[in-house]
Amino acid sequence: MKNFDIVVLGGGPGGYVAAIKASQLGAKVAVIEMDQLGGVCLNIGCIPTKTLLRTAKLYQDLLNSKAFGIDIPGMEHVEINWENLMNRKKTVVKKVVGGVQQLMKYNNIEVINGFGTLLDPHTVEVNGERIVTKNLILATGSSVKLPKIEGIEEGYKQGTVIDSTGAIELKAHPKSMTILGGGVIAVEFATLFNSLGTKVTMLQRSDVILKNLDEDVRNTIQRHLINEGVEIITNTTLKSISGQTTYYESEGALKSVKSDFILASLGRVPNLKGIENLNLKVGRKGVEVDSHMETNVKGVYAVGDMVGKMMLAHVASAEGIVAAEAIMGTKTKIDYNKVPACIYSFPEVGVIGYSEEDAKKAGFDVGTSVFPLSANGKAMAEGETTGFVKIVHDKKYGEVLGVHIVASHATDMIAEAAVSLELEGTIYDLAKTIHPHPTLSEIVMEAAHGAVDKPIHIVKM
Amino acid sequence: MFHVKFADIGEGIHEGVLLKILVQENQKVKEGEDLFTLETDKVNAEIPSPTEGTVKSIRFKVGDKVNVGDVIIIIDDGKEGVRSNMEGGEFIQEESEASPEAPPEAPPKAPPEMKPVVEAGGASVVGQIEVSSDLIASSGEGRMQEVTQNQSAKKILATPVARKMAKDLGVDIQTVIGTGPQGRVMKADIKAAADHLETSAANNLKTSIPDHVSTHTIQTPSAPIQVDEDRVQRVPMTMLRKTIAQNMTLSKYTIPHTLVMDEADVSDLVTFKSETKALALTQEIKLTYLAFFIKAVVLGLKKYPYLNASLDSERDEILLRKDFNIGIAVDTPDGLLVPVIKNADHMSLFEIAKKIEELTQKAREKTIALGDLSGGTFTITNYGAVGASFGAPIIKYPEAGILGVGAIVKKPVVVEDEIVVRSILPLSLSFDHRIIDGANAGRFLAYVKELLSNPKLLILL
Repeated sequence: MKNFDIVVLGGGPGGYVAAIKASQLGAKVAVIEMDQLGGVCLNIGCIPTKTLLRTAKLYQDLLNSKAFGIDIPGMEHVEINWENLMNRKKTVVKKVVGGVQQLMKYNNIEVINGFGTLLDPHTVEVNGERIVTKNLILATGSSVKLPKIEGIEEGYKQGTVIDSTGAIELKAHPKSMTILGGGVIAVEFATLFNSLGTKVTMLQRSDVILKNLDEDVRNTIQRHLINEGVEIITNTTLKSISGQTTYYESEGALKSVKSDFILASLGRVPNLKGIENLNLKVGRKGVEVDSHMETNVKGVYAVGDMVGKMMLAHVASAEGIVAAEAIMGTKTKIDYNKVPACIYSFPEVGVIGYSEEDAKKAGFDVGTSVFPLSANGKAMAEGETTGFVKIVHDKKYGEVLGVHIVASHATDMIAEAAVSLELEGTIYDLAKTIHPHPTLSEIVMEAAHGAVDKPIHIVKM
Repeated sequence: MFHVKFADIGEGIHEGVLLKILVQENQKVKEGEDLFTLETDKVNAEIPSPTEGTVKSIRFKVGDKVNVGDVIIIIDDGKEGVRSNMEGGEFIQEESEASPEAPPEAPPKAPPEMKPVVEAGGASVVGQIEVSSDLIASSGEGRMQEVTQNQSAKKILATPVARKMAKDLGVDIQTVIGTGPQGRVMKADIKAAADHLETSAANNLKTSIPDHVSTHTIQTPSAPIQVDEDRVQRVPMTMLRKTIAQNMTLSKYTIPHTLVMDEADVSDLVTFKSETKALALTQEIKLTYLAFFIKAVVLGLKKYPYLNASLDSERDEILLRKDFNIGIAVDTPDGLLVPVIKNADHMSLFEIAKKIEELTQKAREKTIALGDLSGGTFTITNYGAVGASFGAPIIKYPEAGILGVGAIVKKPVVVEDEIVVRSILPLSLSFDHRIIDGANAGRFLAYVKELLSNPKLLILL
């Protein structure tokens, strides 16, 4: 019978990172994965969508090449080769997943392919074999939740209704798509398909998309999507789906929209199969854990989407490290207020910390400073001037409470803000930090100058 | 190496400006030799060297703003490790209340107890600081401790917000144990340290005042006052104002004040003073009534020693003071200060008058030395200077009484059944009823009155 210090259930960004960390700290570790290492993120989430977005961006750039001084004869023949696009996606995913497999090997982590079922906190059954472990890290992830709408199940079976997994594995270039939902994933797919030339309609239940983001951010993104041709219909109630038609109620009338595909992007639910025997405490969002990721059962830890604090790959990884360290004797924890979040729209969004509204609600003496991308030299040179940075700070000590960036490379730029928040930085040190020129990152420094007093490269009245 | 820091000198003073630097780099200094002069919002303090050695470096320039805890001068004392005059951070050794005038040549080797200086500011009354320059010197024990811990020698890792907060809350960051990565001091650590300081200060307060006086009652009511914000102007309290408020509250809550009033016929004193005024001027002395009042009070205190006393409620003992140090309340543009005329029992009327003039002027110019604000045993407040007659003065804690003197006015009085015009001085004596009863306080006042009515006695006795 195999015997381990730690068995990790699930090989996604929460599980495999926890396994590596635990192994580095000296534990004998096994990972049980029913599918491919890397989880949703590497196989059917973050990485493949970014691959497709790269093509979408390149396509848009080619269509706009004239403005950049490039004439392409036969421009009308520039088109997307869907099959090759899918192949490239597969290659990239294979490479990244292969990388994780190598990491497992070099860290002496035993990877067991199969579905693990827990018999008790120390025994896992997989492929009919029993494995004994001192500790458990559960990282089973989450699955797409299909909302209860008349006809949605049939549509899903027929293939007209798809989820995010289906959306990145389409056989052909779709002419039109209806996206149900207005969250981060919905906006990303709207950006992707719209840029690839698909007619996109978004049906959002509330009055705004990206409801949880800072008002300035969601307004900018919503306006930009509309300008780029995405149809956003807010305040809708989904009624039923029949074939390629979605029926919804809006302004008191029953309306409909017909498209090749209907993409349901209305949230995810934690995967709790196989762990029933542990009698874990499960809350509204997922498995309940303490600040060191330990569940109500001693020695059983849970991380990532199945906990549901924030369904983000980098949160799962951070939680995986916390769990591994806790088992190995170092108690650390995560400040969920200092977690960056990204949207890979065009332009991108990178946010961290408090929005202006939330900071005010939390009782801070809030100051804000905004600096537009349109006053940045690099942005002008690249022809991508839509966006801004907004710094939310506490006036008492100048502590940076939140940073909200809309820019073509916002997802890379937000890391600077994350460092500042983690180190309890202030607007004074952000302003004092010399930023390289010419870069988009200069706008962060400029906004910090604006928070302290006045920015340099814009006239503030 | 010895770090000469801006030690907390009490009275709520947290910052100051370097007025003069009296030494140069590489200069040899003796212990007790003045190093620099600090201007604070209350006093100018000359800071003596706590050790013998050579001035290694001077960290600030004349005119620089410095905060409590800042290292101002580094002296090479030929010993290994780093010592400072703020051992244990915010803790400096202090004399007990019973003997504030301990001979400077006998700095205690092992202090009986370490009191946080916050307490010194809180428990003393305006003008009284139980810290003399001699006592800022560190103890041998403290040095050993610091050498072993090697704390000051370490560059402290701290977040920008933590540093700002430490300054703001008066926490010596060198003494705080950080809980962040690599022991980085985070803002939560500063908050905890400040809370700890506050509680230990409160605990120390409790030992010197009766148990029933909780720290809650010493502070102003915490519930915000309900106001129409448009109908008020909010003015922040200055440090001095806060200190006055705190000390007055402490005195009123601790001491059961009892008031006795009388009127003295000082017609002869008026005549006597005008006769001797010219004589005084030849000696370049401005003779005021206050000098006579002090003389009369000292004689009264000698006869009634229980008014020149303090209550040690912890030991249930009354401390009869052997010194006759009379505080005089001085109205300065920034607020009330109480300079002390030390050993007034050994001084002639002219000497007292001269001292009054000198101290009053220094208090108004903020050049008064800390030693001149400390060690009082009884106080006189002359609100007659602004024309008032009677008052209910608040005792300067932990003294036993305060005499309020009003304006001398001509009044019709009955003398041997005749109505005559006499110069009348209103007197109001507040006394600590725990120490003395009304009868004796009345006798004291009657005696003072008799002395003031017969000025010749003031000279003869």
